Amino acid sequence: MSNKSGLAVKIDNVSKSFVIPHQRIRSIRSAFVNIFNKQTFETFKALDGVSLEIKQGEFFGIIGRNGSGKSTLLKILANIYPADSGKVWVASGVSPFLELGIGFNPELSGRDNIYLNATILGMRKKQIDNKFNEIVAFSEVERFIDQKLANYSSGMSVRLAFSVAVHANRDILLMDEVLAVGDIGFQKKCFEVFEDLKKKGKTIILVSHDMQQVEKHCQRVALIDRGKLLFCGSPQSAVENFNNVINKS
Amino acid sequence: MRRKQENYKELIWMLAKTDFKLRYQGSVLGYFWALLKPFLMFAVLNFVFSNVFGRGANIKYYPLQLLISLILFNFFAEGTRAGLISLQFKSSLVTKIYVPRWTIILSSTVSSALIFVMNLVAVILFFVYYKFMPAPELILMFILFSILTYVLIISFSFIAALLYIKFRDLLMIWDVLVSVLMYATPIIYSLQMLPRNVQQIILINPMAFIIHFNKETLFNRHFPDPWQMFGFMFAVALIFALSIWVYRINSPRIAEYM
Repeated sequence: MSNKSGLAVKIDNVSKSFVIPHQRIRSIRSAFVNIFNKQTFETFKALDGVSLEIKQGEFFGIIGRNGSGKSTLLKILANIYPADSGKVWVASGVSPFLELGIGFNPELSGRDNIYLNATILGMRKKQIDNKFNEIVAFSEVERFIDQKLANYSSGMSVRLAFSVAVHANRDILLMDEVLAVGDIGFQKKCFEVFEDLKKKGKTIILVSHDMQQVEKHCQRVALIDRGKLLFCGSPQSAVENFNNVINKS
Repeated sequence: MRRKQENYKELIWMLAKTDFKLRYQGSVLGYFWALLKPFLMFAVLNFVFSNVFGRGANIKYYPLQLLISLILFNFFAEGTRAGLISLQFKSSLVTKIYVPRWTIILSSTVSSALIFVMNLVAVILFFVYYKFMPAPELILMFILFSILTYVLIISFSFIAALLYIKFRDLLMIWDVLVSVLMYATPIIYSLQMLPRNVQQIILINPMAFIIHFNKETLFNRHFPDPWQMFGFMFAVALIFALSIWVYRINSPRIAEYM
């Protein structure tokens, strides 16, 4: 394979289809009932021959309409879906995440949730112990750390989740619309953290519908439409291309 | 491409601990809740079969036999149930992030194993009360039977957790099957009460084999024939290998079906 030095992600001609049955069988009972009926289905091509290289330390944006294949691409990078064809290579030692606070449980205390979520993100207990105070301080929920998460406001639990995520020390961060939830102050803080992480050589891949954010922060942006990569380059051109796509349809 | 998870042992333990905490937290009697189900069942069955029907009266240590068998079967019932729902129950760990899926399945059976071990502590008290002390080699046999039960739980879970994603009525079906299986297993009765040809059929059920021979060794010092025991262990190993094979083929694509 080609040289990958300095790359965080390299995908080559990746395709992915989903089979959508017209009548989805979800129980053994209906499987029996329909045993002699021929199953009809259609395939939906979510990604069609996409090739992409993302450098280490890059702030990379992905834009496109709803259902264009952005999330599918992220999930393939995260190893949640296998690709049907093509090559996917992601720098080792990463465990990317698409949503904040995976595994968070309202019945557990903030403290337990930090340990649970951080373990899921791949941290060891010692690492969590060392960073625990930092995580709590950043999220600004010190006073409530031993209370159940159910008693947190939604803003507090998002802050806590984000705090764990950035302290998990991943080399590649995959973000799928995670910032849509916070208020403006929080979003600003998030991007400050991102800039900081970028300086440390981390790679950030952001899927967003907020063109202003994308233009302001991303170094390169990929535009995906109907499973195909239409454009990859400067944010301004990507957004321009995107507007053309929307106007045409 | 498969990515490795460096902290998978801690992950399994963390998930198991969380399961356990969530199940019994908020009740002061948390620990006793874990014990309540099998011991309440024991109390009822022991009363019915020792006193009402009087069948148990001529079996040596009937209450102890009943108790140890119930605890083993309860381990199987709870473990398989937890394994079956594990992936669906923790679907965000499958669809929002990548962790090796087998860690999710395994962790749910670990918390059932914890409850089983807790149950055993209470069982020891009963053994003390009835002044029955099994010899060390018999206790070793019991440990072996417990391990075989656990391997069966894991094997079942690896296949059933994947199937449950597709077939949502599997849990209801399994719940019914488990209660049928309970009566098809020599728990409240002993195998010798049945006609010989029925005994053979009953022993096809691996839990019947385990529970029958566990009683026979513990209370009658009657060990299974070596070839029978090795044959059984080989069959369990085969089932385990089969489950891993099924898991490896089917697990990469499961996120698409959730």
